[in-house]
Amino acid sequence: MIDELYSVAGSAFAIGNLAWILFGVTLGYLVGALPGLGKGTATAVAIPLTFYLEPLSAIAFLVGISKGSTAGSAVSAILLNTPGEPSSTPTAMAGYPLARAGKAQKALKMGLFASVLGDLFSTVVLILVAQELAEYALGIGPVELTAILAFSMVFIAGLSGRSMIKGLIAGLFGILVSCMGLEIETGSPRLTFGLIELYDGLPLIPVAIGMLALSEMMIQIGQRQRLSDEADLLKGSANPEDQIVTLADWKNCIRPIVRGSLIGTVVGILPGLGASVGSFLSYGAERRASGRGADFEESGAIEGVAAAESADNAVVPASLVPLFAIGIPGSVIAAILIGAFTIQGITPGPLLFLENKDLILGVYVSMLAASVMLLFIGYFGQNMFARIVRISPALIMPIVVFLCCIGAYLQGGGTFGIGVMIVFGIIGFFSKKYDFSFVTFLIGFVIGPSFELSLRQSLGLVTDLPELLDHPVAIVFAVLAVIGVWRLTVLQRKQMAEMAKAETN
Amino acid sequence: MPKSDLYAGIGLMVFGLITLFVLIPTQTSDGGDASISPALLPQICAVCITGLAVLLTMQAAGKLKRGKAAGQAVPTAEWISSVAVIAAVGVAVLLFKYVNPAVAAGLLILGLMLYMGERRIYFLVGIPASLLIGAWLLFYKVLGTAIG
Repeated sequence: MIDELYSVAGSAFAIGNLAWILFGVTLGYLVGALPGLGKGTATAVAIPLTFYLEPLSAIAFLVGISKGSTAGSAVSAILLNTPGEPSSTPTAMAGYPLARAGKAQKALKMGLFASVLGDLFSTVVLILVAQELAEYALGIGPVELTAILAFSMVFIAGLSGRSMIKGLIAGLFGILVSCMGLEIETGSPRLTFGLIELYDGLPLIPVAIGMLALSEMMIQIGQRQRLSDEADLLKGSANPEDQIVTLADWKNCIRPIVRGSLIGTVVGILPGLGASVGSFLSYGAERRASGRGADFEESGAIEGVAAAESADNAVVPASLVPLFAIGIPGSVIAAILIGAFTIQGITPGPLLFLENKDLILGVYVSMLAASVMLLFIGYFGQNMFARIVRISPALIMPIVVFLCCIGAYLQGGGTFGIGVMIVFGIIGFFSKKYDFSFVTFLIGFVIGPSFELSLRQSLGLVTDLPELLDHPVAIVFAVLAVIGVWRLTVLQRKQMAEMAKAETN
Repeated sequence: MPKSDLYAGIGLMVFGLITLFVLIPTQTSDGGDASISPALLPQICAVCITGLAVLLTMQAAGKLKRGKAAGQAVPTAEWISSVAVIAAVGVAVLLFKYVNPAVAAGLLILGLMLYMGERRIYFLVGIPASLLIGAWLLFYKVLGTAIG
């Protein structure tokens, strides 16, 4: 593998490619640091910039943005107690009290180091695992693929929200919406309402921008007063040790970083769990291990920052494992990357390693380069980013809405794309407020066409029920899907009961 | 939030039934010689959505009956802001079509800044102007494409 990576190092380390990675990481860090903006918004809005880039630079740029914004969201979490996205909430819980005690620099630095280490570890796992998994995936037939996709949808629906029913509705709605356009077998229009623009189906990028970015802006603009008010006064400290990460800090944090990287990587590989699950699990594990109880949040804990940030950042590269190996997007970032791959004429999945191996290897090298750049940009730009978090939302949000419109216009065939973005912005707004997982919707929308194709092929191959016995892998996944619905529903009910009990107490 | 779940469940049930009995029959061909009807997958989705919506409605109604709190899913400020954002983008699209792309983009940014409470004149002028110049440079000069 090292030889293979070395062979593409020339193209990955070309000045142009490195410049796009650097731009991506910096832009991502900047957007991530701004309160209320997360990696989904950052990546969706940046897609138009990739239309005219080489495939490697385009993917590397977007991966750089997602890595940068994941790490950058710690800045607003620690300094303003305003996480850029839900996965940074544990960072705010452990880091904001440190900032108020004059240790903001220390918390920011440890957050950055933990982010880079978690990200690097997860990237190495991606490099080692994805190709091996893809080789197995090449032997998968349509019947097995149908069962795997159905299982993945159930799994994602059950884990990405608080209600299995709502998750399944969101996923099915995504598949239903993906049916719009010319039908695969007959080529006849389906659910197009006489609109020629819909013959190719709904364009992914305006749908993603609407669901992720525009709907988020609608919510954030409504909360602008809260965002402005949370620019709290932070204390300075005369003690130089409070500004740096000492050897003692490293000794305390190395175990949570290792644990967080492992948790984040496993959570990232499993489709649908998402960065929030990773960071909360890792934070919870560290909180229990410390034995400090509520003091962990009251006085702040640098170990908590390290645990949450390492897991949060490990999720992003690991979530690309199912995308590269099987073609199933396991996260929002992976779903958006499918759009970027499609723009470049590339289909993610096991054939990627046969047909576009140099590209994938180039992406790997670029991801490693992005991890290193993340360290330098985060470290040397820390003071600048700390100032940027205080920029008024009244200046940031209109710019984001403007960029949303440009992205939807370019990829959606003109003003039609903006119309699609508005419709899905409204759907996204309600799905967020009524707790219907927009992640599950987007993943259903993305896998819809492959699910329909494999379902049709399966119905042609399996005409009698006993013929299913020739496909044991499909049976296993079908059974797992049924068990998944049952177990995850029970689990969610328990969680809801516990939450209700906690609220009553 | 059982009350909002109840509304969502009823809304989705209606949506599922309309899709199943109106949209799919009128918007999907019979498929002619196709081995499998083009309507198959949309029908599966619509049936499942309707069934799940019934479950969601029953679950929410049961919770309400047991007297669980009915919280507000969307605060008023967010309703207003969402209408404002959609209206701003809608007006910008109309201006884009019938007036000029630069006017549309400039007014979109300016309008939202004013709505969000920004009153400093140098920002109100500087940000739309620099964004328009930046977008023009990026798309027309660097990427070699055009808008409008």
